[in-house]
Amino acid sequence: MFYLIMCRSQTNAQRISKALERAGIPARILRSPAEISPAGCSYSVKIPAHALSRALTILNGTGLPHQGVYVSAEGYGYREVEL
Amino acid sequence: MIYFDSAATSLQKPPAVRRAMGEAMVTMASPGRGDYGPAARAAKTLLACREEAAALFQVAEPERVILTTSATHGLNIAIKTLVKPGSTVLLTGYEHNAVTRPLAAIPEVHLRTLRTPLFQPERLLEELDRQLDETVDVVICTHVSNVFGFILPVEEIAARCRRRQVPLIVDAAQSAGLLPIRMEDWGAEFVAMPGHKGLYGPQGTGLLLCRGEKVQPLMEGGTGSLSMLQEMPDFLPDRLEAGTHNVPGAAGLLEGMRFVRKRGTEKLLRHEIALKNQAAAGLARLPGVQVFASREHQSGVLSFRLADRDAGQAGEWLARQGLALRTGLHCAPQAHITAGTEKTGTLRVSFSAFNTPREVERFLELAGRMPS
Repeated sequence: MFYLIMCRSQTNAQRISKALERAGIPARILRSPAEISPAGCSYSVKIPAHALSRALTILNGTGLPHQGVYVSAEGYGYREVEL
Repeated sequence: MIYFDSAATSLQKPPAVRRAMGEAMVTMASPGRGDYGPAARAAKTLLACREEAAALFQVAEPERVILTTSATHGLNIAIKTLVKPGSTVLLTGYEHNAVTRPLAAIPEVHLRTLRTPLFQPERLLEELDRQLDETVDVVICTHVSNVFGFILPVEEIAARCRRRQVPLIVDAAQSAGLLPIRMEDWGAEFVAMPGHKGLYGPQGTGLLLCRGEKVQPLMEGGTGSLSMLQEMPDFLPDRLEAGTHNVPGAAGLLEGMRFVRKRGTEKLLRHEIALKNQAAAGLARLPGVQVFASREHQSGVLSFRLADRDAGQAGEWLARQGLALRTGLHCAPQAHITAGTEKTGTLRVSFSAFNTPREVERFLELAGRMPS
């Protein structure tokens, strides 16, 4: 299981990834899966499941905006997480 | 050759600029167009460029640093966002055609231009106080005149615009890399600058600093984001950056800005002013030469003219002796009208970090031998 932090631009994704990695959280930028990106071509930051709470604390602290968080569990697709 | 035309383009660049550009040419592709290494490296370079600029110019977020092709490009975006047909625009009187031509292209714009003497910021502020009333929709301020090096009191102008809630556009073409640019403190709506002058980047690069996101794109096209939508994304930087980026240019500009940060803008400005003062003092001793100089409110840009000689011919003669300077109206007729030099134009010398006092001595020797 992992989480995707949906970003509004690649620059936004880069900044989020940078902030999380600086705090020791593995944060890989990837193209958002089409399932969660109906308008096409967006970026997400992938983080491990155990890091979500800390990641959100960091994002709140830095004020970096995001477009929602999605959880992926194998075989179940993506579901938006209510924060 | 002695190169004294850095107000147009700084020719000598830090070696790191061309190294970075060469590396970008062979290792970087397009950001936002794939997940592979060369695309990721390009994206990283662009973000680093935005972050460096945001730190240097006090921009709240790197997303608000737009990569443009020139100051002219940025000014066009800024002007076409804020100025509408019928708008009243107040100009500080030293504007470049990069400001006045986009304004002329918008129908029925009412221009109000301050006409105050060179190197007298107090007079300019008095006149601004008189003319900045509720009918003004936008103020456009040249930070430093590209003809005379006159440093305009941008902090005070910005404070007056904030008080009256009039949007301000700053043309920082001659100040970026030399004078403090404080986007947040000023509260300017836009600050536009080139990459290829005081920031020591390559030609074809520039930056537009944006306060808000409600901006009017000059071009529409692919951004690598929200591709199903036929409108441009409503967020920065994507909204203003359609098409493939000039990645080698951004790599070079990044190194140019790092050079400026390491040297320090104060030190760079001090160096240029010292050369300008040396040139001004030497020229003032020559018969028939009128020098436009001030020890207080002038950057390293110096104009002069000759009583009985045509500026263009004198410039041509100096070029044949191996001296590169600029003659004519310098694309800024408004500045000449304000200063009263529109009929003759001027010769202009302008300096960079790579010029030396010895070069100024050589220039003065040549200027003293100019044929009439």
